[in-house]
Amino acid sequence: MDAALKLWIVIVVVGALNYASRLSFIALFAQRAVPPLVARALRYVPVAMLTALIVPMVLPGTPLAVPLPPTPKMVAALVAGVVAWLTHSTPKTLVAGMAALWLLEALAARIG
Amino acid sequence: MLPACIGLIPFGLVCGVGAAAAGATVWGALGMSAIIFSGAAQIIAAQLLAVGAPIAVIVLTCFVAGLRFLMYSAAIAPYLRPLPPRSQQALAFLLTDQAFASAIRRFDAGGDPRAGGLHFLGAGFALWACWQVTNVVGFFAGNLVPASWSMEFAVPLCFIALIAPHFRNAPQVGAGVLAGVAVVALDGLPMRLNLIAAGVVGILAGTAIELGRERWTRR
Repeated sequence: MDAALKLWIVIVVVGALNYASRLSFIALFAQRAVPPLVARALRYVPVAMLTALIVPMVLPGTPLAVPLPPTPKMVAALVAGVVAWLTHSTPKTLVAGMAALWLLEALAARIG
Repeated sequence: MLPACIGLIPFGLVCGVGAAAAGATVWGALGMSAIIFSGAAQIIAAQLLAVGAPIAVIVLTCFVAGLRFLMYSAAIAPYLRPLPPRSQQALAFLLTDQAFASAIRRFDAGGDPRAGGLHFLGAGFALWACWQVTNVVGFFAGNLVPASWSMEFAVPLCFIALIAPHFRNAPQVGAGVLAGVAVVALDGLPMRLNLIAAGVVGILAGTAIELGRERWTRR
């Protein structure tokens, strides 16, 4: 299939599904309460789905590996996690994570 | 609101770079940022398009990642009840992780729902505009940033900033840890199906731990 056509199909379908999810309880089922079990399960969507996205971006290699000693990215992600947990601030998390990564990569280059 | 926009800048840049890397034209990149308007879904779509995954897999993975909007929608709906349907439809489009976090804090503080709705509209639109600009800049200028700066690492950092505050109870920690283990363990699956599988594992784990803990304390 033509690559541009495929991209636009993805844009339209994902855009429509995203909008339907966003509109769901605001308008589509405004009169209905969320079923209790669904409400519980939905609470775990952000953590589960975003962790599944984060881990492959932090770990090295295809296939994914968990090396010892850990890579600078692994340590920097941990530092960022602690800062985010304590501060709830995106800018502070970004600064701490990038600074930790640059510092650790510079150190690793000097040692290595 | 300003901190949220600042936090979005590197994320938007990287999404623009991702769209360029997936072979999109600038219109395709703008279509993704303006219509999908979700960093997580755009990153997934760009990665899966780049490895040649079928449309059904791309749509399904993005849909599961977008299920969190159902939760935001349910949480914010009571506050939007007093507003006219047109405003509700517009606000729903602007519902993102960052706009939700900003709006729910404001609504929880109490006060006039109309003022809260206007705040949400302003914040949501500012984020949307900021998102388009950063995506286009990333599309054109992304490759000018030296690779040694590792700017792509800003994406996991943005996600970490979103989820780390949730790691406060056993079910949420369990959901995160099991999703993380599953995405590595299932890495052999084709078409990056490990993403969606790990998401489902995490959601089920969190729910099961919560239900199990409740049964335990009731005894």
